[in-house]
Amino acid sequence: MTVWQRIRGRLQRMFFFLAILGPGLITASADNDAPGIATYSMAGSHFGYTFLWIVVWITFGEMVVQEMAARMGAVTGKGLTDLIRERFGLRLTLFVMLALVVANLGTTAAQFAGVASSSELFGVSRYIAVPLAGLVVWLLVTRGSYRRVETVLLVLSLYAVAYVVSAFMIKPPWGEIARQALVPTIRLETSYILAVLATVGTTITPWAAVYMQASVADKGVTMRDYRNTRIDVVFGAAAGNVVSAFIIICTAATLFALNIRVETAEEAALALAPVAGPWAEVLFGAGLLGASLLAASVLPLATTYAVCEVFGWERGLDRSPEEAPVFYGLYTTLIVLSVLIVLIPGLPLFPLMWLSQVANAVLLPLVLVLMLKLINDRLIMKSWVNHRVTNVVVTVLAVLVSVATLALFVSGGGAG
Amino acid sequence: MPTYLSQLIDRPVWNAQALRLGKCQDVLVVETDQGSPMLRALQMLREDGTETFIPTSQISTLSPAIILTVVSPNAYEPRGEELYLRRQVLDRQIVDVEGHRLVRVNDLQLAKGAQNGRYYLVGVSVGTSSLLRRLGVEELGRRVMLALGRPLREQVISWQDVASVQADAPIRLRVTQDKISQINPVDVADILSDLDRSSSVTLLNILDDETAADVMSEMEPELQMSLLASLAPERAADVLEEMDPDDAADLLASLEETQRESYLELMEHPESVEMVKLLAFPEDTAGGIMTTEFTTLPMGYRVDDALAYLRKSPQAQEDETLYYLHVVDDQNRLKGVIALRDLVMAEPEALVDDIMEQNVITAEPLMPQQEVARIVARYNLLEVPVVDPEGVMQGIVTVDDAIDAVIPTAWKKRLPRFY
Repeated sequence: MTVWQRIRGRLQRMFFFLAILGPGLITASADNDAPGIATYSMAGSHFGYTFLWIVVWITFGEMVVQEMAARMGAVTGKGLTDLIRERFGLRLTLFVMLALVVANLGTTAAQFAGVASSSELFGVSRYIAVPLAGLVVWLLVTRGSYRRVETVLLVLSLYAVAYVVSAFMIKPPWGEIARQALVPTIRLETSYILAVLATVGTTITPWAAVYMQASVADKGVTMRDYRNTRIDVVFGAAAGNVVSAFIIICTAATLFALNIRVETAEEAALALAPVAGPWAEVLFGAGLLGASLLAASVLPLATTYAVCEVFGWERGLDRSPEEAPVFYGLYTTLIVLSVLIVLIPGLPLFPLMWLSQVANAVLLPLVLVLMLKLINDRLIMKSWVNHRVTNVVVTVLAVLVSVATLALFVSGGGAG
Repeated sequence: MPTYLSQLIDRPVWNAQALRLGKCQDVLVVETDQGSPMLRALQMLREDGTETFIPTSQISTLSPAIILTVVSPNAYEPRGEELYLRRQVLDRQIVDVEGHRLVRVNDLQLAKGAQNGRYYLVGVSVGTSSLLRRLGVEELGRRVMLALGRPLREQVISWQDVASVQADAPIRLRVTQDKISQINPVDVADILSDLDRSSSVTLLNILDDETAADVMSEMEPELQMSLLASLAPERAADVLEEMDPDDAADLLASLEETQRESYLELMEHPESVEMVKLLAFPEDTAGGIMTTEFTTLPMGYRVDDALAYLRKSPQAQEDETLYYLHVVDDQNRLKGVIALRDLVMAEPEALVDDIMEQNVITAEPLMPQQEVARIVARYNLLEVPVVDPEGVMQGIVTVDDAIDAVIPTAWKKRLPRFY
């Protein structure tokens, strides 16, 4: 075998692998959105490497939940809110939908706020960057087929490279990092628990499950070719959380070590510059921009999928705006609203974000319980119901999230 | 009021002695490929937590409360052909004939048959008002929308349009999205005559004026009268305007004097004048059965100009059949007729006056209906113009109205429809 043949074989296998990637990687990458990056930067600068083991465990949780959503999409060909309405009736469905719309509108606005901060790091006014970003995101979805939208979103996921490069340039102590990732350090401080919850809340989200299931159904995946989708989900969750870990490593190695505490992604970028060099600010800013754009495309899409599924309206990227007017109309409305919320001074961005976090916190355990009920229903899932271990994992996850959220609300905590 | 599935689910089931047996869980229908499938049984959850089925033959009423005719019902054994409305139909996706998603099933409309007292599934509720009903705030929503000047209307897809219901597949309609409301008037008339009065009125109320008018025209006179009286007077007048003038006049003629006057007052001007004119003739004469929808053409036109004139003529727009053009002078006196076919086939430069039939067989307004029928049969006509002694056009009697006199209605329905 010549060298060339060997390279070609490798390339073919790589392309095959790339072709498998889709909703799994996109959702996981969009999980590291603007608020996500802020959370990781904050966690890294406040708690250093001791936060890493949490990310490892959250990765497993995300894999399990997203795999369930993907499997339901492949078996039934229906979205998550489709199934919720058919199985649980109208009232509960409308509650889930409203909470999802509120939560996602706030989070989408947060993405455009992310675009605003990152563009201002590069000296571009938000009044130019945010409307432009809104237009790009809108054009992408309204003009593209499923295939094309997916390709563009996958390319956007490459923002992650910025953080990986940053971490390697900083040259952190890899041995220490590996030890901290494997050995749990449990701290019982409110701020630590808050940070853990925020990380769970930004990684395992109701919208991610909705988006995952809807895209698998929209793509027409069946159980016969489900193996590839599962690879996509598992690889995506792993890759997404490796990126989270790298963001934590970047801030832990520099800011935590020097006792600099940051709360947001742009603070992190600015603080990194004098410590690690001007390239760090550029890379962090570029990463934030890419992540915000990706999430700003995916979040409104997930919301629109959910609303259209609840009412049974035509939906899907392969339909034209004439065929699915509500789908595209709602998508447009969500983007325009989010852009306006970010741009109009005096509009209540923070109360809205807080409301959206509350909605997400209430919704997550509820959606997990509903997913468990659906996926164990043999009338719906036939022989592809959950394995017992998976049920235990998700139940534990739902209970932990509920208890922690409840505790925070009782103790008067709030925004994470 | 019609009955809705959402009003039955989880409602108590009472036996003939007003004892509570359990609560309704689901409703089973059979013959789902029919236009209005019959309710076969209720699924009931007993007080002790066990399930049973009650055949509809032992049910006295469904609304406002579910009451049985017996003290202890015999259990019904499902045969596997039944459709479970709550489990298999409620909240499901509806797609059109091309597979496009339209909407979800918000509720199901049931109605009680007039003859046998059995209940039938007639339609699928899809609109806002059914959503509000499911949430228990229908009355509130109705008032709010009324105050906003946009009254809520029940939106119902007829079960006739449903092609198939299968497990795990969306409910597929046999029509495309824009055809849903265009239900065949004859079929609707058939359903209406099977239903009890309140259900029929509800069904008639969801149709637009034009469809309702077509449906009314297809019904037996007694049912026409009773349904018209159940409609709101303004709506009744709107429907009358849309009906063929001869049908509307017949219907009005059969009403009480005072009722007729009030409808005539509510109708728009040109239509009401026509009605008064038609009503002046006895019912069994040419004048009584003629329609005032016909098309005239002034004398002296060339064939090509006549066709251009037709395309612009409001008369021709209204004329549903348009088999003949009636050539009249400036006094509206009939000078001849020409079939549309002959006009289309003629040389464009020819004069209509030269090629039209000048010896027209006509009827006088007071000619008995039997006589008109005889003329139609004898000369193989599709219509007979009705003219007064001066030869002024009054209307036309079409073949179907003429032969009504000699063939019973039941036979006519079996004949192929020419009109």
